[in-house]
Amino acid sequence: MKTSNVLRRVCGVTAALIGVLFFFVIVGVFGLPLAIAGLAVFVLGAVVVFRAFPSERAEL
Amino acid sequence: MKLDPSILARIQFAFTVSFHIIFPTMSIGLASFLAVIEALWLKTKNPTYLQIYRFWLNIFAMGFGIGVVTGIVLSFEFGLGFARFAQMAGPAIGPLIALEVLTAFFLEAGFLGIMLFGFNRVGPKLHFVATCMVAVGTLLSASWILSANSWMQTPAGVAIHDGQLTVVNWLHVLMNPSWPYRLPHMLTAAYLTASFMVAGVGAWYLLRGKHQDFARRTVALGTAFATVLIAGQVFIGDIVYGTMLKYQPSKMQAAEGFWEKQSQSPAPYYWFIIPDQKNQRNRFALGTPVLGSIWLTHSLKGRVEGLKNTPRELQPRMALVFFAFRIMYCLAMLMFAVGVASLWLRFRGTLFKSRLFLWMLVFMTPSGIIATLAGWYVAETGRQPWVIYGLLKTVDAVSPVPAQALLATLIAFVCVYAVFITAFLVFTFRIIRRGPVEATAYAEASGSIKNAFRPYVLDSPKRLADNQFWERS
Repeated sequence: MKTSNVLRRVCGVTAALIGVLFFFVIVGVFGLPLAIAGLAVFVLGAVVVFRAFPSERAEL
Repeated sequence: MKLDPSILARIQFAFTVSFHIIFPTMSIGLASFLAVIEALWLKTKNPTYLQIYRFWLNIFAMGFGIGVVTGIVLSFEFGLGFARFAQMAGPAIGPLIALEVLTAFFLEAGFLGIMLFGFNRVGPKLHFVATCMVAVGTLLSASWILSANSWMQTPAGVAIHDGQLTVVNWLHVLMNPSWPYRLPHMLTAAYLTASFMVAGVGAWYLLRGKHQDFARRTVALGTAFATVLIAGQVFIGDIVYGTMLKYQPSKMQAAEGFWEKQSQSPAPYYWFIIPDQKNQRNRFALGTPVLGSIWLTHSLKGRVEGLKNTPRELQPRMALVFFAFRIMYCLAMLMFAVGVASLWLRFRGTLFKSRLFLWMLVFMTPSGIIATLAGWYVAETGRQPWVIYGLLKTVDAVSPVPAQALLATLIAFVCVYAVFITAFLVFTFRIIRRGPVEATAYAEASGSIKNAFRPYVLDSPKRLADNQFWERS
């Protein structure tokens, strides 16, 4: 297996784990204050990705 | 065979309200989506946004129409099928439903005309105002209806004297304990529904290699909205869960599939059960160890309360509540996963290239509708045997109507609604198959309400071309 493929899979699994962690945080597993903070971080992170990678323009 | 009028009345209401809720959910979500798209069109003058607007406007209009017609039926059913409920709850929820018509429906209906037929008759900014007014109208409408339904879940602000209900505090009726949480939960569900519909149709075009610009923008916008919204939805959902656990513990006990007063520690999270209501146990249960404690009690060893905490005669049917809740929750997790995946693909620049992801979006197109329906089944079946929680049982709310009359009208509703849904699906698929039609980047009309009906606007050459457009679409 090529190194780039392994790296790609590791990155994919890491992204999925981060997603699961955010899900747990947002549903309040670690308390309401952390849930609010987690939600804010997730939404801000998503907005940063949308703005940094405006796919509807970049790939046209 | 002896027919039970109370069962028939409930089946009839369940059928008509389940059918109805599909369409307002789409309308609320699509109205706001259209407002955003029209704002983008006004800002950028990019004709693709106008294409997107006109494409989804057609589907929105059909859904709105069916939603209105099927909603009127429900008001009559309160009186005809559940007269005792209407008699008792009328002083509290009657004004809320009337206010919904006066403030929200009139607003929507008025501006809907401009939204649908005003493109060539009013200016683009005024048209945008009309779209926003329709979106605000749908929000107001949802707010009043959620207030009425939440009052049935958590009644407040009323007193009962000699069996007659009297409102003692209108603010408490309106802002009853569950309303502030259930309203954003429902609105977010509607926006998610629209986001996944829009993204799903765009993904379908990308997979077919058609309408690339339109498809890319709708997939990009739909997944962006869905990602942010689903994060908010799981957060709000957890708060709604806590609120309902406080005010309607039996509903959440049934939703989690536990029978014993206290579960084992740590508690599993059940994904599938075969409940035995008669013997108050599960015949079969499949779950993940410890996850129940983590998710439901937010601790590693917490115990979860079971349905035996509620007297047997006041218990809801566990199977209905449990499976409806699982469908909603599993779809929410799937939506969250799709949202995270979209962020990842966007980061890698392959949002429109991953066929697996695009097929996933197509598969998720009706997910919002299914999740919303499941959520309403949790809300309504979990409240049983009460129609107004703690005040009036459903069995006592039914009208003294002959069972034959209820059966005949139920059959009639099924037949008429089958025509509605068939027509809606046929025309929606036809619109999707045909795809978006080319649109100009600029506004055709003169720009103000003062000029809206002047002959040079109505008879402009552009209008003729656009009439052809409308006929085609």
